[in-house]
Amino acid sequence: MRNPIDTRAELESYLQTAIQVEHATIPPYLTALYSLKPDPQHSNVASFQIIRAVLVEEMLHLGLAANLLNAVGGAPDLIRPGFVPNYPAYLPTGETDFEVGLESFSRRAIDTFLKIERPTPPPATESFVKVNNVAYVKHEVLATGRKKGRGMLPHFRATTDKGDELFLHFWSIGEFYKAIAAGFRQLAYNLTEKELFIGDAGRQVGPEHYYSSGGEILTVTNLQTALQAIDLISGQGEGSAGRIYNDKGELSHYYRFDQIRQGRYYRVGTDLPDKPTGHAFEVYWDEVYPIRPNVKVADLPPHSELREAAINFNHQYKTFLHRIHDALNGAPADLMPSFADMFTIKEAALRLIHNPLPSGGGNAAATFEMS
Amino acid sequence: MMVAPEQASSRTYDVVIVGAGIAAAIIANEVSKEPGVRTLVVEAGLGHAMSQEGYQRYLETFYAAIDKDNNAPYPMNPNADMPRTSVLKKLARGETNSKAYWVQFGPYVSDSAYSRVLGGTTMHWEGKTIRMLRQDFNMRKQYGHGLDWPIDLDVLMPYYRRAEWEIGVSGEVASQRALGVEFEKDYVYPMHEMPPSYLDQVVAKDLNGMKLRLDEQEYELSLSTFPQGRNGIPNKAYKPLNGGTMFQPVGAVTFHQSEEGERCQGNTNCVPLCPVQAKYDARKTLAKALATGRVDVLTQAVASEVRFNKSNGSVQDITVKVYQSRERADHRTFTVRGKIFILAANAVENARLLLESAVRGNLTLNERIGQNLMDHPYLLAWGLMRKNGGVGRGPLVTSGIFGAAPSGDTLRNGSFRRKQAAFAVDIHNDGWGWVDGSPVSTLMDAVDNLNKYGAGLRQELVDRISRQLLLAFMVEMPAQRTNRVTVDPAYPDALGNLRPKVTLAVPDYSMAGIEYARTLSRLVFQRLGAEDFTNYNPQNYGYRTYNGHGYEIRGGNHLAGTHIMGTCGADSVVDSYQKSWEHPNLYLVGAGSMPTIGTSNTTLTITALCMRSAEAIIKDLKQQPAELHSH
Repeated sequence: MRNPIDTRAELESYLQTAIQVEHATIPPYLTALYSLKPDPQHSNVASFQIIRAVLVEEMLHLGLAANLLNAVGGAPDLIRPGFVPNYPAYLPTGETDFEVGLESFSRRAIDTFLKIERPTPPPATESFVKVNNVAYVKHEVLATGRKKGRGMLPHFRATTDKGDELFLHFWSIGEFYKAIAAGFRQLAYNLTEKELFIGDAGRQVGPEHYYSSGGEILTVTNLQTALQAIDLISGQGEGSAGRIYNDKGELSHYYRFDQIRQGRYYRVGTDLPDKPTGHAFEVYWDEVYPIRPNVKVADLPPHSELREAAINFNHQYKTFLHRIHDALNGAPADLMPSFADMFTIKEAALRLIHNPLPSGGGNAAATFEMS
Repeated sequence: MMVAPEQASSRTYDVVIVGAGIAAAIIANEVSKEPGVRTLVVEAGLGHAMSQEGYQRYLETFYAAIDKDNNAPYPMNPNADMPRTSVLKKLARGETNSKAYWVQFGPYVSDSAYSRVLGGTTMHWEGKTIRMLRQDFNMRKQYGHGLDWPIDLDVLMPYYRRAEWEIGVSGEVASQRALGVEFEKDYVYPMHEMPPSYLDQVVAKDLNGMKLRLDEQEYELSLSTFPQGRNGIPNKAYKPLNGGTMFQPVGAVTFHQSEEGERCQGNTNCVPLCPVQAKYDARKTLAKALATGRVDVLTQAVASEVRFNKSNGSVQDITVKVYQSRERADHRTFTVRGKIFILAANAVENARLLLESAVRGNLTLNERIGQNLMDHPYLLAWGLMRKNGGVGRGPLVTSGIFGAAPSGDTLRNGSFRRKQAAFAVDIHNDGWGWVDGSPVSTLMDAVDNLNKYGAGLRQELVDRISRQLLLAFMVEMPAQRTNRVTVDPAYPDALGNLRPKVTLAVPDYSMAGIEYARTLSRLVFQRLGAEDFTNYNPQNYGYRTYNGHGYEIRGGNHLAGTHIMGTCGADSVVDSYQKSWEHPNLYLVGAGSMPTIGTSNTTLTITALCMRSAEAIIKDLKQQPAELHSH
């Protein structure tokens, strides 16, 4: 069986994609989060905390993915064209049965979030599982079956025994990281660990640089720490070994969002999938600012305050990405000061989200257009 | 877990604790590590805050409150009332204010406060965790003022260390050492110091190196950070002190995962509540105790009488009044029983409960109960700097002004302590908020008096607020038996419990320190080129004159001394383990046990003392109840 990753270039490309995947979830989560109205009577505080907690971990994952790439001598690129998807967009993992967009907190948005975070399913009897006319395969199967890649990741048309046409790609973000883990193992064996981990340790983001509440960032210097970092990402994302919790007993992202769908908390450590038994909380689906989905600068009246605010937001976000980019490319100590930007980004986003479009159809929002 | 009063009163616990603040949480947590020990915690206030939603409600109440005092997040609860500044007024000599929870008599009015909610006063503390100095423990021997402790610093050293782990302290040992604070060799705090704010850096640039003469010594001033109970960056060098692993900051208290509170974000909104729970509060420790399954918490239960066994003086049980709603006074009365009883309801409430018990039981208790009430009087001085100091960033306070003389004396401990009180000086990152409620007052002034609006108003606010420099002097106060808590049947609360009558007069020794603090503030403003706006209003309830000058004195919320420890029952209420001399199964814990408080905020020392008491309690429990020996 061939690994999807068996050259350094492939590994670097996967890790760059990993950074893009982690980042691609942030604008949708932020938009939904900031669309919640701060109404003390009908407060969506529980939903707010849940989305916020996932968001904080996605930022940690971005840092971990950058550490993985830096460890093998690569260079994270957060400013390349297309780094920020043009929403609505497919995730960079190549899943094509759903798009991710910028919209208000809603049942639909939560369903999308659940798709983003969907856990690896129970083993299928066939080599793939067919859902919505799209087949998902485990990464090993995808590797053996690889014909030609579309973009940087294996992703191709195939037909079933019955002649149905299928589009094969990763099942989930978790499967994607499994491919990366396998690639690390393979390359460490092929090249030796010493030859694989040639990155400058000074480029690693350590706990002294990273200020987060979503868990502690790990520096990556060898195969063991690389696999630990991957475990942390996929464990927080979709739980460990098919359970809904990771090794530290944290609920995985999918089931955190599921709490909003069900209006009830999971009791950590004891509850089974889909059957939360913790205390119930109210979800006020209407207590949100009604954002027009995936609004663009071009949708806003020329020379209006809203348009200026949208352009200003994009400028701020671009500056923020540049600062993070520079920090991840050899100046990790600059990471912390750049987080202060988050406060101005929040204010700039709220200014848009709180205001209706003059043309109707909902409120404005940050457009995350970087070019 | 949370327990109903019927259940709680049907059991005999090993340990019954009155109060759910830091002293109670520490003891509950320590004793619950013993497998067989069952503990009941009795809390007078509402018990909402053990979830993140409950905490969030407090925050929202605070945001919406017009009068943002320390207790503003906590809804009015006449069944477990607490001091609030909004009901204070200036009192003429002999005049009484019985509207406020504390009954106070003119001319002395203190706005010191504590919180009667789950988590206690850590639900509004600022988070400074300063160790006491060696000399603070024998003030009388050294300087002829205040009292001496029955133990010295060396006894507390290992407990300070454990307290700093439990609270999760961010700080810098080297700079504390330079100020005379003692640590064990190779010690570091669990987390690195909170970085000095931009304001600190601006002030330090002009102030560092300034010299002043005091008591024939020359002191050189400099800025230094305070150790704080708020989450920062874990220190790698702490690993060897933590079993080889990095210190894990403790985040928000919650029943589910929220990924909040693991780091301070510098919201400058630390008091009363940190919006992200990066500041330690006692709920964090209480949550660990509850997780053992061996600790029950009974909320909305106000202890009203400690009943003693007439033959040997031991506590028999405690009567509690359990109310259903803060809006109504109707309640049911239960008794709770245990082998050992701990009063951990803070200095004023511990004394209040015992004094009320004496009235109800017609008993004569140790005469020092309620006496020697202490606090840290605060003097504020405020000025406007010439340049932008970036006010409004960082936690409430990051640095203080310290002075050191070549002899090793410092402004916290020097030869001058024979004549006048020492003090610690905070630089506030939130501008003049404590003085007059700025930025709201600055806004009102700009609109009403300067007719500013639009962009001009925004500019005016930025220009002024960013230059507001506030120095807060925390002055030491020696114990005096006339400063005291008593009770009077004429002043009951809604449940019929007797409210505390409080006399808290600032002694001349502290006034001399305050007078010098004002002098120092003038010198500092002069050195910085700041315009001095300090102005003490004679109509303020804390106004007090000394040597012909008037000062507004504010309460420090560091109430202490009402059941001081000593060497025997003739000079004190408890022994060095905070165990009552007269009642063999009763501990009175918290700052009430402290004979002096020096220039250290009391919480860290309370924590250390309670860790030590917990060991004594476990030892007591291991003996048969009948053998619980008297002194």
